[in-house]
Amino acid sequence: MGKISARARAGGFHPPQIIILSFVAVMMAVAVFLKIDVKTILGDSLVRLAMNGVLVLSLVPMFNAGIGLNFGLPVGIVAGLLGMCLAVNFRITGLSGFLSAMLFSVPIGVLSGGLYSRILNRVGGREEIAATFVGFSFVCLMNLFWATAPFGNPVMLWPIGGHGMRPTIGLQNYFGKALNDLWSVSVSGIRVPVGLLLSFCLLGLLLHLFLRTRIGRALQAVGENETFAALSGIDVRGVRTLAVILSTVLGAWGICFYAQSYGFIELYDAPLMMAFPAASALLIGGASGGRTTIAQVVLGTYLFQTTYILSAPIANELLIPEAAEILRMIVTNCVILYALLHRGGVREA
Amino acid sequence: MPTGKDRLVVSVGRAKPLPTLLAKYSATSLGVQPLPVMPAFAGMTIGFRIPFPTARNQGVSTMLRIGNLTKAFGAEEALKSVSMEIEAGEIHGLVGVNGSGKSTLLNILFGNPAIGRTGGYSGAIYLDGERANISRPSHAVRLGIGMIHQEFALIPGLTVSENIKMGREKVCRFSERVLGRSFSRLDHRRNREDARLTLGRMGIDIDPGTYVSDLSISMKQFVEIAREVDNPELKVLLLDEPTAALNREDSFALMEILKDLARRGAAILYVSHRLEEVVSLCERISVLRDGEISAVFSRAEFDADAIAENMIGRKFLRVSRASRDCSGEPVAVSMRDFSVDMPGERLRGVNLDVRSGEILGVTGLSGHGKLALGVGIMGLFPSRGNVSIKGRLLEKRCASQVISNGVAFLPEDRRTMGLLLDHSVMDNIVFSAVQNKGRFLRRFPLSSLRFLDRKKARLYAEECVGKLGIKCRSVFQKVKELSGGNQQKVCIARSLALEPEILFISEPTRGIDIGAKEIILDILVKINARQGTTIIMASSELEEMRRLCDRIAVLYRGAVFDVLPPGCDDKLLARRCCGEKERAGPAAER
Repeated sequence: MGKISARARAGGFHPPQIIILSFVAVMMAVAVFLKIDVKTILGDSLVRLAMNGVLVLSLVPMFNAGIGLNFGLPVGIVAGLLGMCLAVNFRITGLSGFLSAMLFSVPIGVLSGGLYSRILNRVGGREEIAATFVGFSFVCLMNLFWATAPFGNPVMLWPIGGHGMRPTIGLQNYFGKALNDLWSVSVSGIRVPVGLLLSFCLLGLLLHLFLRTRIGRALQAVGENETFAALSGIDVRGVRTLAVILSTVLGAWGICFYAQSYGFIELYDAPLMMAFPAASALLIGGASGGRTTIAQVVLGTYLFQTTYILSAPIANELLIPEAAEILRMIVTNCVILYALLHRGGVREA
Repeated sequence: MPTGKDRLVVSVGRAKPLPTLLAKYSATSLGVQPLPVMPAFAGMTIGFRIPFPTARNQGVSTMLRIGNLTKAFGAEEALKSVSMEIEAGEIHGLVGVNGSGKSTLLNILFGNPAIGRTGGYSGAIYLDGERANISRPSHAVRLGIGMIHQEFALIPGLTVSENIKMGREKVCRFSERVLGRSFSRLDHRRNREDARLTLGRMGIDIDPGTYVSDLSISMKQFVEIAREVDNPELKVLLLDEPTAALNREDSFALMEILKDLARRGAAILYVSHRLEEVVSLCERISVLRDGEISAVFSRAEFDADAIAENMIGRKFLRVSRASRDCSGEPVAVSMRDFSVDMPGERLRGVNLDVRSGEILGVTGLSGHGKLALGVGIMGLFPSRGNVSIKGRLLEKRCASQVISNGVAFLPEDRRTMGLLLDHSVMDNIVFSAVQNKGRFLRRFPLSSLRFLDRKKARLYAEECVGKLGIKCRSVFQKVKELSGGNQQKVCIARSLALEPEILFISEPTRGIDIGAKEIILDILVKINARQGTTIIMASSELEEMRRLCDRIAVLYRGAVFDVLPPGCDDKLLARRCCGEKERAGPAAER
């Protein structure tokens, strides 16, 4: 243990990241040993990193502003779904379809984020649980909307009757895989989705830069100590509102990334549990003490998603179905628990 | 001057007993009942020494003996062969600057498991003549050792009596017989009665049914002590900076309680930064320096300066400044009927003019509003009335507007209000200036999206570190790793980066050790002299204010009761704090 933590500190990692990392390495070795197609898995892991990464990224502004993990991510997701439905409704295809979906979701995200922040600003100290229920109830409210939405493109509507949205809308004729296939190259057998990765990196970089600006610094000060920030002449409410709006809009973009990669828009109850894997990835990355970095987002998302895609083929190969999946659940959930245990406290000993 | 480290000091003769509590004393002799229930009056007088009661006589045995205690953390020796003896009924002072080993010693005595984890200690501890091996706090409690921490170890959701009687609860006899002690029904009535008796014996008037979360900080400290007082088995009481969170008058009330406890035969080891307190309370004082007992003073040889020099190991210089008459200067801050709704520190209609370039001291007993002044102006609590800065009326009391008018404020509680503990020294120093003045930023059209100019910020922070003598590894070190004095210097540097014309500072030296204290005061004097900054310091350290201030405003029940010159009589000042107006001496006519 002592040895691990010494090495961990040297490398900038903490024990949980080391554990997960070695778990991934062991699974990888087993996969190679079992002659599973590791190259496809590696390519997939890159796709899944960018596909889920933006959703994880969207948690960062609120987390760093001290509002906690955004379990109300469905609010942002719904804004993104609406944006995409609009793009499909206007029959915009290809990359421009994807970009206009992102564009449409911005005003919706700003509006719903603003309302959402009004609730969060009132529940001082219990934001995470309030956000969870805002998310749940918002999804249910939107179910009513989806069932009666006045969209006109028949691909989105129930084939019989022609009223109400389908639960799953295929994007293959619109902007499915628009980013995945952009500048996709093959490096020694591994498919690297350069366009997708670049766009994810660009968003990460922009957020990283934002956190270093004057307002970004104010945001992190509010996250660490609200009284201090208020005494230093910072509009604490305004900063928190900004963080919530930013998180909501990024969440909307996150689902756009996810849906184009997945190839389908999923409506109704689909956004309900989307916040949990994102929050887990953030915690696995080593977010602690109310602050996280973009590097931790990338690391956390990659580790979380890679264990996920590695476990299934290995389990199949070893003919003990579920075993790898169970092990994966144990390891990731223990790491989340570990991260939660040490989140409030100081971890430098 | 005793400097030999193993010098043995013979006890002082018996002193005359003193009335049990000063509460009675102040009430009878002055006819005043101060607002808080504390016997607050006595605390306000500096150097006013109370005749000391003692239970030490020839027949009394040594209660606690420590022999050659050595403790190392890794390669670093925190304690080097420390030996000391405390007799039953003695209050023994232990002083030393930060890092001198005081806390380590207390941790060993109270069986803090961290000691065992880091390799244990060598040496022996004898309690009441018997060798004691203390490995856990629960073990220490069983042996009759009580400890009062700097941070409270109370359960906020329980009542005062439940906290006091915890672990010693009275239970209903029938249920105890049937279910055993652990599961028996508590006899709340008797517990409450017991707690009331204990509190009454300490001269504290609170309802034992009050929830601890509703108490003020000082009351919490008293409840914590009441828990030890209530323990009939108490042999040794260890106190680690018990007055760090208390103001002066409450500290004095606490000392009276300790003296009473000592009279009943407990040995008390009292650790504190506040030298005057230790001098007036203890019978002997051991000075720890770099893990060694560098001197032991007995009561006859007490000399605060000599002890201070012994603590810091060098010449001790007191900062002082000649007071000036600033009445001809323009008014910098003017308050008219200024009221602040801060819980526990209400201001009710303050009228005060602060002249430009002066250092104004604001004092008063706790609860009378001195701490509400700064936070009220910064808009942290709702306020009424008018405040003008340099003739301009403040319309909205929000921090950004006040700061843009050239005001900086340093709160009394640095760790929770004045610092970003997880940020670096540099980030803290430049923070307010970056946010309010746009200093240290790179160019960009949108001002809120400008980046920090790290080079400029680093240079400025390094300059501050040099000028104010902040001890840190680098400006990138996290502030939470610094000592209290250095944290306060970082706070000052942060406010200086705003280039303030008016500086509000609350309790500038609270919780700071004696060497660093003078440095902080010196910095304040220099800011005032060089930049002409008007300084308004709210403090309960009267002795410091006398040395620094041009005038001292006394608050009573949330309003300015009197404004006195710094050279005025101690007793007069104390009377003003208690709201007594008659017998105004010649010094008060100003």
